[in-house]
Amino acid sequence: MPLPALPARLLRPLGLAFWPLLLALLLAGGPAWAAPVQLLTQARMLPLVPGQAADWNRATPVQLPDDWATSRPAQQGVVAYRLALAAPAADAAGSTLHGLSIERACSVLAVWLNGQMIHDGGRFDEPVSRQCHRPQLVAVPAALLQPDGNVLELRIRGYALAEVSSRQRAGGLSAVVFGAFDTVAAHHARQLLFAIRLPEVLSGALVLMGSFMFVMGWFNRAQSYLAYFGALMVGWSLLLARLWASDLPVSNGTAELVLASLMAFITLATVQFLMRYAGHRLRWLDLALPAQCLLMPATLLALGPQRLQMASSLWYAALSAQAVAAAVFYLVQARRQRSRLVWPMAALLGVVAVSLLVELIALGWRLDSRVVHVAQLLPALGFLALGLRLVQQYGRAFQTAEQNRAELEVRIREATAQIERNFAQLSELKVEQVTDRERKRIAADLHDDLGAKLLTIVHTSDDQRISTLAREALEEMRLSVRGLTGKPVKLIDALGDWRAEVVMRLQQSGVQGEWSAPSDDEVPQTLSSRAYVQTTRILREAVSNIIKHSGASQCTVRCTIDNGDFQLVVQDNGKGIPTELDGRLDKGHGMASMKGRAKQLQGQCLVESGPGYGTVIRLTLPLEQHTTAR
Amino acid sequence: MNWRAMNNILLLEDLPEIRAWLKSLVLQVFPHARITECSRVQDALLQVQSLRFDLALCDLGLPDGSGTDVVAKLRDVQPEAQCVVVTIHDDDEHLFPALQAGAYGYILKEQSRELITEQLQRISQGEPPLSPSIARKVIKYFASQNLPQTNAMPTVSLTERESEVLLRVAKGFTLPEIGVQLGLSRHTIADYVKQIYRKLNVSSRAEAALEAQRLGLFRR
Repeated sequence: MPLPALPARLLRPLGLAFWPLLLALLLAGGPAWAAPVQLLTQARMLPLVPGQAADWNRATPVQLPDDWATSRPAQQGVVAYRLALAAPAADAAGSTLHGLSIERACSVLAVWLNGQMIHDGGRFDEPVSRQCHRPQLVAVPAALLQPDGNVLELRIRGYALAEVSSRQRAGGLSAVVFGAFDTVAAHHARQLLFAIRLPEVLSGALVLMGSFMFVMGWFNRAQSYLAYFGALMVGWSLLLARLWASDLPVSNGTAELVLASLMAFITLATVQFLMRYAGHRLRWLDLALPAQCLLMPATLLALGPQRLQMASSLWYAALSAQAVAAAVFYLVQARRQRSRLVWPMAALLGVVAVSLLVELIALGWRLDSRVVHVAQLLPALGFLALGLRLVQQYGRAFQTAEQNRAELEVRIREATAQIERNFAQLSELKVEQVTDRERKRIAADLHDDLGAKLLTIVHTSDDQRISTLAREALEEMRLSVRGLTGKPVKLIDALGDWRAEVVMRLQQSGVQGEWSAPSDDEVPQTLSSRAYVQTTRILREAVSNIIKHSGASQCTVRCTIDNGDFQLVVQDNGKGIPTELDGRLDKGHGMASMKGRAKQLQGQCLVESGPGYGTVIRLTLPLEQHTTAR
Repeated sequence: MNWRAMNNILLLEDLPEIRAWLKSLVLQVFPHARITECSRVQDALLQVQSLRFDLALCDLGLPDGSGTDVVAKLRDVQPEAQCVVVTIHDDDEHLFPALQAGAYGYILKEQSRELITEQLQRISQGEPPLSPSIARKVIKYFASQNLPQTNAMPTVSLTERESEVLLRVAKGFTLPEIGVQLGLSRHTIADYVKQIYRKLNVSSRAEAALEAQRLGLFRR
């Protein structure tokens, strides 16, 4: 990692720790009392036995706060505290309402003043209201206060430490603050905010976000860690509910059992989240952790409500160890993979660890309520922050996936187009091959059947004319076949073929022949096989005419290429074509067919002839159209 | 190859009329020859095994195969026999394989009796014909042959003069014309042409052997 990135890496956990720090400052730096209040710490305590009248002679003096966990660990039931309350001195302002603020009265509280009930905090019978974490405010009307002293009776029902999973929910009464109502109420409101309101809000937020992430993870099995993190958040929100859910329809024993078992579920979610997030999935964990979730309540149930505290403490230690192990594993893996989340995660895990440590300490020892509050709220905040981060990560991954998908789609479309193109080419090629094969078959048939028959006629006919006609037909057929199957011919090769044929035929007929053609490098063109065949026929016909009819002694053939035209001039010194035949273009001389063939090739064939001047045949073909055409 | 008496002649042709016509023509040129007539490739191959021939006239397109096989067989078992292809096909695609197999020239069947007679005489006297398109094909063949210098095999290549003759034939010059151009006698030119045919055959056989060896190596 480059050096400049270092501060950012360090700042990130600081940013994450910012909000908890602010929260801690808010809690710690609360204002002092705005107006003078009485702090009542002296009380007389009397356990009440159902069915017996209270005998206050047997009451024992106690110092508030009175934690049953310390003062009477084995006891539970209803206890009455009597406090002496002096009337507010020289109440000059003449305020009519006073207030009592009781930070902790566990688990339920009722208040009497001078025998008059002024506060009823909830049910005293099972299921007993659970208000251990709820600060209470009691309004005290001035009319009820007697100037010469008052008796304040606070009645509490609580449980022994052994029966609850946390010391915080063992019976007890904190010191009582008495003062002007608005002063006390403001103090109470602040206590209520941290003890009840914030946990409520965080519970709601955790449930909402946790469910959201759980569903997200559930439907994307590749991101199963999201589901586990969602489960962790939901579990934690339920854990937070212990702070504010006061009236449950179940007895204390059941509530405590469920609460303790919730820790096993949270551990499951935590461990699985960390393992999956680190990219490891252990099969045995998938079985062991749910089994533990069942085992824990089973052991608690088996050991009975009187040993709940002891058993759950042991379990908490074991579960914490698992969570810590998973956290360490995750951090090691993340560091190895150079994950960008390693430092924020380390900070969060640190916060949670410290909070858990505080909670663990609070299980056994009494701590300042403010510290406990911070410890209770910080992990929830941390989970929310990490949750947001994970959702952001997920969103980014989703975006990337979407982008990849779009790219893939484009590539697929391209590939499809390519395949279609190839297929089109292939089928074209196939058609060409099939056509070619068919042409060859026709050609072979022509040769074997028609050719053989014509040949037989050539050599068996007694009539010389028929024999000649058959021979010509055979040659025509051969040229046709060649036009059918032939490939384009190089003009230079065609010139060679023509020369050989013309010169040999003239020589055999005793006509002196002269041939002129452009040299090799002047004729790079090619002829289509059709053009080659037709030109061969025209030339053959012309030479035949000279041999048969002209009576010429000399013949000149000139081939030229001019302006993209191929010109063939055949000139003889014979007697020329008779004038009376000129107009009708006699069949014997084949002039009509020569002209027709030339026309087929978009060229022309001109015949100049006069008696005594010989004959000149000029064939002109445009080369461009025959150079590449098949 | 010098002129020699043509006593035993093989005539392979499937069309009875043409065969009869050819027979009469051959008897006109070689009156004392004993002619063995065949109409199928299989018959001809059998005859080649048992009889000695001085001359063989082979059609190419036969009902049970190609006359090229007979030419190749004859070249193998009776190298001194002269093979001439008698065909209706004038295109080099059909002729060239027969020439590679060892035919010394070819005669087109539909030509006039006089022309064929003359050609037959010339061929038997060691003056085989060579058309421009065949010449071009031979040039192309040897050009491609020279590209991969195969080891071990003695490469058959044309001499400068042979190449010169081929090039001129390809351009449409007749053999007598080439003789005049190069200042050579008609017989010398004919010898060059014969050499070209022979080298074509030798090279083709070497190529075939090499191919067979290669296949054998692969098979092993």
